[in-house]
Amino acid sequence: MILSTRRPASRLATPVPAENGANGQPNSVVLGPNDRLVGQLYIEGDLRVSGTVDGTLEATGDIEIAGGGKVNGDVTAYNRLTVGRDASLIAGAVRIARLTVADGATFSGKVSMGKHVAEAPKPAEPVVPVVEPFVAEVPSVVVEPAPAKPVQQKSKRR
Amino acid sequence: MDVQEAVAEGTASAENGEVKRDARKQFSMGPGDILEGKLIYDGSVHADGRVEGEVRVTGNIDVASGASVKALLEGGNVTLKGQVEGMVTARDKLTLGKNARLSGDIQVRRLQIDDGATLNGHVRMGDFEHQASGQ
Repeated sequence: MILSTRRPASRLATPVPAENGANGQPNSVVLGPNDRLVGQLYIEGDLRVSGTVDGTLEATGDIEIAGGGKVNGDVTAYNRLTVGRDASLIAGAVRIARLTVADGATFSGKVSMGKHVAEAPKPAEPVVPVVEPFVAEVPSVVVEPAPAKPVQQKSKRR
Repeated sequence: MDVQEAVAEGTASAENGEVKRDARKQFSMGPGDILEGKLIYDGSVHADGRVEGEVRVTGNIDVASGASVKALLEGGNVTLKGQVEGMVTARDKLTLGKNARLSGDIQVRRLQIDDGATLNGHVRMGDFEHQASGQ
């Protein structure tokens, strides 16, 4: 019931199944103050970090860096990123739709806000030009009158 | 509309005793005002209307919600509520209000971004050179 209100559908390029959690609830992952992650993490849902992360985070929902949470690495949140008062985010790239940074937070990186979600999958698929028969027919007719034989320089008098 | 070609190198230095730190001067613009050029000001600036160029102040800069700014901004506390395009340096704190739209690189000591604000650019926090601050 409240599932549909959690994330506006218009923000999501690829609709995330709401029942991605084990019990039909949206995923919510918490890294506590004593937790530590080195590497990459992709979450279909929300992520809350109060521990230490060295690596790349991506979540289809919200990411919150709270308490004394420290994140060193790129962060992508399809919805919202919150950096709390005592939290720290040192990133190369931060891609989010919404951003809240509390006074006192440590925050640096290249911030891109907006419809970045649609851009992310693009590099994965190679761009193959599809030749449509409809388009191909038109130039084939037009190309015909082009000079087939090389015109010699001296033959051209004026 | 007032067009002020401001080349006000008006750092009315503190040594002549005219300008007191406590009673800072305020350069205040209205919604219909336009500032084009370079303003170096010993005091605070309230920017509204349209600003293009460069604004460096010893005090604070505050950009009103209806303002459109395409300028390099440098001040102590910088508060943005309107639309800003350009580099922003806050020697102390930069605040982006909920309707602020900033595209440009920022260099700050402290940063607060309210939900709803839009930021596109590179954020650097902490250690930055204090020269060229017009002080």
